[in-house]
Amino acid sequence: MKLIINGAEREVDGVQTIADVVAHFGLAGKPLVVEADGAVLTAEQWETADVHANMQIELVHFVGGG
Amino acid sequence: MRDSLQIGGIELSSRFFIGTGLFPNPYVQQEAIKASGAQVLTFAIRRINLESTEDDSILQHVQNEYFVYLPNTSGARTADEAIRIARLARASGLSDWVKVEISANERTLLPDPIETLKATEILVKEGFTVLPYITDDPIMCKRLEEAGAAAVMPGAAPIGTGLGILNPYHLGLIVEDAKVPIIVDAGLGSVSDVAQAMELGVSGVLMNTPVAKAKDPVTMAKAMKLAIEAGRLSYLSGRIEKKKYASASSGYEAFKLN
Repeated sequence: MKLIINGAEREVDGVQTIADVVAHFGLAGKPLVVEADGAVLTAEQWETADVHANMQIELVHFVGGG
Repeated sequence: MRDSLQIGGIELSSRFFIGTGLFPNPYVQQEAIKASGAQVLTFAIRRINLESTEDDSILQHVQNEYFVYLPNTSGARTADEAIRIARLARASGLSDWVKVEISANERTLLPDPIETLKATEILVKEGFTVLPYITDDPIMCKRLEEAGAAAVMPGAAPIGTGLGILNPYHLGLIVEDAKVPIIVDAGLGSVSDVAQAMELGVSGVLMNTPVAKAKDPVTMAKAMKLAIEAGRLSYLSGRIEKKKYASASSGYEAFKLN
């Protein structure tokens, strides 16, 4: 399935939910936040949030800053 | 004497807000945070680099229930972008505090006051504890307070310059008029800048570069902590008036040996 993740097109196979996408990139259990098609999703929502072709997904995390 | 600082319903044990960027490595960062005594930690939000599996999340190194997390909206150029970043930050479940930071000018990184006010108004309505970073303009600071900011954070000088307090007169006016804590954010360079800020009566300081980029960040963090405490005590104690001419400490009676 074609997804737009962090601004770049990616072919990601075998994913049905946001939780699958997170796991696909080896990020399960890590502190991150997901936005899908403009909506912020809390971690509890990942399992039930279905992905669809061309979905715009942002995977963000905290980095050092002042 | 109890001299506490309250922001967003939280009593803070320290007047030092420390940034988590630019440290040479996570170990030095951790030790510097410890030496600073800071309770409030700032950090930024960025896209995860999916090409590198290496984990560079800042929270791996500092997560601890003692700290209050203050995510910033750095990278935002408009109120809408800042609001989006703030919502992402809150979804982490770590904090509903946000430092609104909106800069459209890459050379100065000075905040856009109009967008900052707009973002502050909206985020306050959404229930965030909002601490906007803003220019040292007394009228703007008042407008942000009226918009519901939990604390207002005027800059001493542009971010990362270490130029110190460029306009102490304005900072003094801001403090005099404020009903919320004033935290000096950005531009400080040394302990003398920090002590000066505290002597002007600000409630605290936010620093990153002057600690992280010092030759010895851990010792500098401790120096800054002491400067904050010294400046605060000096402010509370009331300094002497400045006079044009000398006045002897022991009176000016003639001193004759015979």
